[in-house]
Amino acid sequence: METASNNQITEEEKDILQEVMNISFGKASADLTDVINAYVVLSVPDVTLLKAEKLPDYIRDDIKDYNSISIIEQNFWGKFKGICFLIFPSRSGRKLVAMLGEGDDSFEQSDTMAVLEKETLIEVGNILIGACVGKVAELLSEVVTYSPPRVIFEDSPKKNISKDIFEPESMAIIMKTIFSFEGQDINGFLFLVTSQESFGWLKVALHRFMERYE
Amino acid sequence: MIKKILIVDDSPIARKILKKCIPQDRGYEFHEAGNGLEGLEKFKTETPDVTFMDLTMPVMDGIQALEEIKKCDDDAVVIVATADVQVKTIFRVMNLGALMVLKKPVTKETVEDALLKARVSLEDIRR
Repeated sequence: METASNNQITEEEKDILQEVMNISFGKASADLTDVINAYVVLSVPDVTLLKAEKLPDYIRDDIKDYNSISIIEQNFWGKFKGICFLIFPSRSGRKLVAMLGEGDDSFEQSDTMAVLEKETLIEVGNILIGACVGKVAELLSEVVTYSPPRVIFEDSPKKNISKDIFEPESMAIIMKTIFSFEGQDINGFLFLVTSQESFGWLKVALHRFMERYE
Repeated sequence: MIKKILIVDDSPIARKILKKCIPQDRGYEFHEAGNGLEGLEKFKTETPDVTFMDLTMPVMDGIQALEEIKKCDDDAVVIVATADVQVKTIFRVMNLGALMVLKKPVTKETVEDALLKARVSLEDIRR
């Protein structure tokens, strides 16, 4: 197996990580469909290595078509450490509320609807992020702990996603999955970002994952 | 009897894992494809006894490839190996005529069981 320094990953390591992400998001979407009456259409996950300071631009590029968005942000800790962003175009929260069977038309335009929407986004975020990150960690024989999820409603996607998430000069790995709900006009973007601090452990863990099949 | 096995998956790692889970001492001839369309073409040219099919793939996904393969040969033995384990997905592929669904990551045991089931199915078809 080819090797690379601790701030880089090889093509093979990237392929392994992509498959691990594929399995993990598959598990997350199945968990979500247990509680939501929908079918999640998955895309092929993408794994990218880039300088942390370029992370906001990378994410903005994917969501540039939306004027306003909702971001569910959650940190995770352990040897596998990083941050997850689950991003929906705005008003998706309301559609998700309806799909969960919560609320009714009388809540439209009311404060109650805003609360319900936020709670729904947090719940969906908890399920998708928790199941996805948890499965990545499980496949790589590790455990993680999570911060409580945070919802940000953002009118200007250009402003959000701080550059200060990680050391700007350090490298970051972004695992991205785009998904949609069949028959619903909702797209979602899941970005799982891990910092250079985790690279050493991650590389060893990926090789160990493959050794099970040797 | 199984002689030729086709593995269709866009991930080279997933193909490698699957191949490693298949007993190597049985003289199987392996063919691989990186997406559903390539898989369909390989199916037509190589006429494998068993096809392992991923679902989430670029160009042509596994559901469409399975559908096309079944149009070519209704008796084709296709085992779906996927990370997409939503009930609706499993229901769809079984309705399309998949022999069974393997949940990723596959293991030597699940792949061996699947091959055993495939062999029985092939014997039934050829009888």
